[in-house]
Amino acid sequence: MDAGMIWEWIIKSIFLILFMTGGFAYVTLLERRVLARMQVRIGPNRVGKFGLLQPIADAVKLIFKEELIPAGADKLMFIVAPVITVIPALIITGVIPWGTSINLFGREIALSIANVNVGVLYIMAVTSISVYGITLAGWSSNNKYAMFGGLRSTAQMISYELALGLSLVGPILLAGSMNVMDIVQAQKTLPFALLQPAGFIVYFMATLAEINRAPFDMPEAEQELTAGYHTEYSSMKFALFFMAEYIKMIAVAMIGSTMFLGGFQGPFVDQLPWLGPVYLFGKVIVWLFVDIWIRATLPRIRYDKLMALGWKVMYPIALLNVFITGILVVLTTKR
Amino acid sequence: MPPLGVIILYAIIGLVSVGSAVGLLVSRNAIYSALFLVLNFLTVALLYLVLGAPFIALAQITVYAGAIMVLFLFVIMMLGAEKLTESSLRVRGLRVLAVVLGLVFAAEVALFLVVRGGIPAAPAEPALTFGDPAAVGLMLFQQYTLPFEITSVILLAAMVGAIVLTRGDLKDRLARRAALEKKA
Amino acid sequence: MTEATLINPLDTLVDQFPSGWVKKDERPGYSGFIVEREHLLEFARTMRDDFGFDYLSMVTASDYLAEGKFDVVYYAYKTIGGPALIFKVQVPREDAVVPSLVALYPGADFQEREVWDLMGIRFEGHPDLRRILMWEGFEGHPLRKDWKEPFYEEDVKPYKSRWPEGKPVNADDRNPFNDNVQYPTGFDPERWVPEAETLLYSGLQRTTHNEEFKTDELIVNMGPQHPSTHGVFRMVVSLQGEKIVDLKPVMGYLHRNHEKIAERNTFLQNMPFTDRLDYTTSMSNNFAYALAVEKLMGLQVPERADYIRVLMAELTRIMNHFFATGFLLNDLGVYFTASLYAIEERELILDIFEEISGSRMMCNYFRFGGVVRDVSDEVLKKIHNLVYDRIPRKLDQFDAYLTNNEILRTRCEGVGVLTADQAIALSTAGPILRASGVPYDVRRADPYSIYDRLEFDVITGNHGDIYDRYLVRVAEIKESIKIVKQLLRDIPSGPILAGKPAYQVRVPAGESYGRVEGPKGEMGFYIVSNGKPNPERYHVRAPTFINLTSLAPMSRGEKVADVVVILGAIDIVLGEVDR
Repeated sequence: MDAGMIWEWIIKSIFLILFMTGGFAYVTLLERRVLARMQVRIGPNRVGKFGLLQPIADAVKLIFKEELIPAGADKLMFIVAPVITVIPALIITGVIPWGTSINLFGREIALSIANVNVGVLYIMAVTSISVYGITLAGWSSNNKYAMFGGLRSTAQMISYELALGLSLVGPILLAGSMNVMDIVQAQKTLPFALLQPAGFIVYFMATLAEINRAPFDMPEAEQELTAGYHTEYSSMKFALFFMAEYIKMIAVAMIGSTMFLGGFQGPFVDQLPWLGPVYLFGKVIVWLFVDIWIRATLPRIRYDKLMALGWKVMYPIALLNVFITGILVVLTTKR
Repeated sequence: MPPLGVIILYAIIGLVSVGSAVGLLVSRNAIYSALFLVLNFLTVALLYLVLGAPFIALAQITVYAGAIMVLFLFVIMMLGAEKLTESSLRVRGLRVLAVVLGLVFAAEVALFLVVRGGIPAAPAEPALTFGDPAAVGLMLFQQYTLPFEITSVILLAAMVGAIVLTRGDLKDRLARRAALEKKA
Repeated sequence: MTEATLINPLDTLVDQFPSGWVKKDERPGYSGFIVEREHLLEFARTMRDDFGFDYLSMVTASDYLAEGKFDVVYYAYKTIGGPALIFKVQVPREDAVVPSLVALYPGADFQEREVWDLMGIRFEGHPDLRRILMWEGFEGHPLRKDWKEPFYEEDVKPYKSRWPEGKPVNADDRNPFNDNVQYPTGFDPERWVPEAETLLYSGLQRTTHNEEFKTDELIVNMGPQHPSTHGVFRMVVSLQGEKIVDLKPVMGYLHRNHEKIAERNTFLQNMPFTDRLDYTTSMSNNFAYALAVEKLMGLQVPERADYIRVLMAELTRIMNHFFATGFLLNDLGVYFTASLYAIEERELILDIFEEISGSRMMCNYFRFGGVVRDVSDEVLKKIHNLVYDRIPRKLDQFDAYLTNNEILRTRCEGVGVLTADQAIALSTAGPILRASGVPYDVRRADPYSIYDRLEFDVITGNHGDIYDRYLVRVAEIKESIKIVKQLLRDIPSGPILAGKPAYQVRVPAGESYGRVEGPKGEMGFYIVSNGKPNPERYHVRAPTFINLTSLAPMSRGEKVADVVVILGAIDIVLGEVDR
């Protein structure tokens, strides 16, 4: 382990964090523009060309807003909660490979931060602790709406995490490894979405619930709970929640693309390794567009129906999928 | 002897782990207690990681920190039980019991030291496959099949029990339905 | 009791009660019956059970200061149609107590509370007689004739002081220190603790507490600041988990004492004032008010004006139903897409309103005896284009994307159910009443203007849930299109106003009640004139205010998420609820 290696890691990590935060800013813009188009409106187009500077203007606005902490709030938790929400969102994509490796400044640089053996389990572990921020925000605000938001998100996470985890078992079984790189390499000929349609659909729906996107945006259901768990938050602390939500959106799109859509795989990626990140980026954009499209289209499902869907439909389907996949893998593997 | 960096890391993690366990006991607020426990689980997971068992470490986080403690928090918040009052803490004989159990534990440790004859030497470096998913899986399904199956049956029983408990108003509902039918 | 009496009981009603406590109201210009207050309950029960007047549409009161008494006025109808049964109770001002009719007609609940609040008449036996529009702790009852507002100048407008030298002066400016705000004696605003809230909270129904788990209901105030209460409206809900145990609506945050101001205004000044009630349906409000005053004046409206009126009223209905449906979808959590598509056509209708009246929303278009401006051929062509092309296309979109939408159906079907009996008893009106299967539409039940010549169906639902309310609204748009097509075909030329336009109208003494089927339900104006240029009594039968009575019964047992949708399906506008 030489110094160059450590520098490489540090630079790659900083790049990832910058990419995620910058991506967050422009996903908000993308969402607003796309939603506007779908709703016969124009959307923000005044700040900069095509409204490209709008996210910066929003950030400036949010920074200069007044920070409010309710009198009855648990101050420590109230301040810590947004931070706890953002960090898992930022670190979760650490195991996602962007490509094989490229030659830069005479160094062979691997296009992934951490190529760990249990990458998928890492993803599961980080997702499972990401609910704490929301739950604690809801609890510490000392507000009934926030409390409801926190409780709902906890219940929702627990219900959907199982289906989510099981949906990822399919690719693991097919690739025979928990290493994300191996899973991507196994999809060289055929993306797993085609081999695992049920798993893919379950993953897609479960992640919508996991990141609180419409039509599963229970914890912040505006019409019922005003703003749910972040009702009492203002200024940058609110922005952190907002940021976490969008970063998670990008993260699940990246994970989903990697696990089911072949990740950085694509035509000519072996000859031109820098095409890898481009392919991944394109897949992520399409995924995000579908997310936004769904938000513009579907009404919110009621909370109890959502839970029923999670436990009575998605979970059994995911379980069955794992069962069948396992049997088929055993039958087709040559000994 | 492992390298110095690992020892320092181990010491820090151990201290945080013990500190969070103490915090869990001392804290008056149930939510904080639960969070200290989460921290404790995370540090224990890091210890596993240092010991070269990433699978067990991440499974620890996913299961304990991610699922079980979230449920704990959920229940505490749901019942509004985060503020413990003096009276709710006063269970008779609690202190005596604590002292007795502490003594038992100390005796156990002493016995262990006597039997094993002092602090054991560092074990040999485990094999590279130690604690990886395949190894754990094989162990569970070959060496420990019976305990594994027994555990799953117990869990199933607990699940059924929970459902039965929450459906406690079954009699009420049957009575109500009967009344409705009579009306019709 | 003969069959003739049953069919048309009003002529011989007095004979049915031989003991003499029911009399005909024989004051000039008045109609209906005067019932002694000791026998009110008996009379009302007989009328409801034996004669079929099952629908108590309006309860109000008027203050006759000179005679030292109040008239409490009731308008009841049969849901199978026909004229009103008007009955009144006269009580002396010093002893203003009347038995409550809530037990017989639950729909009288809010209206009696309103009368108590604004007029100070106590209803004995009312289960929850609190102030409803004014704040608790308010001194006095503002609709009484001897009550004077803080900046009181004269009884009627135009106030002489406003233009001393030809220049208008604002009364507030002359009184910069607000020194005529009156507090009750011994009132200290610093120390004041409103007892209303405890009354409100203690009035909530509770389930039995579970002692073992120490559970209790959680009380949540949804509103007054809440994104989906459609304005400053508040619902106090007690929750068990996510289930609603009880709900109490709290309103009056937008109360401006519309009726008192209107009694200071002249008759014509009130025409633009009615626009401000339900600001999305100003044409219908104008229509009802014009009908009430015209009835007193005995005016005949020219043919063309009648056509234009109905045309505008139906366009208003189309517009309102689009609006209501769109925002119902918003309440379901569709992020504005459906509502923005739904109000696309509304904008075009507003363009038409702007072209004919000069204003998009506050139209102020109707006059006593007609309308204020004629409708040009271009406008008729635009309307033609709308009803033959754009609106049907939009309705097809609704059918394609909403009517069978899975999530919409699971969230709306069987939610917020109101049975037909309940809907009638609770005096609901409009699409809510009809969605519960009661084919009651003022346009058919008690035709006004030219509706008796027009061909259209009264749409009803079968289940009385939110989904049926949605279907009824969509189908009513189709019926309105049918009506507009007939109007466009038949509209004659001719004058648009009976007589000459006048700033001051002469309204003979008497009472009258004009009602139309507004988009949100029966919109009515109760006017009492004493021959002077301003109304002696002016009361609005606000459909959404009375429809809100049904909110609590509909919401009990539903989930939090559903309450928002149930409220959205009632389609309230706070300008009208709070007045």
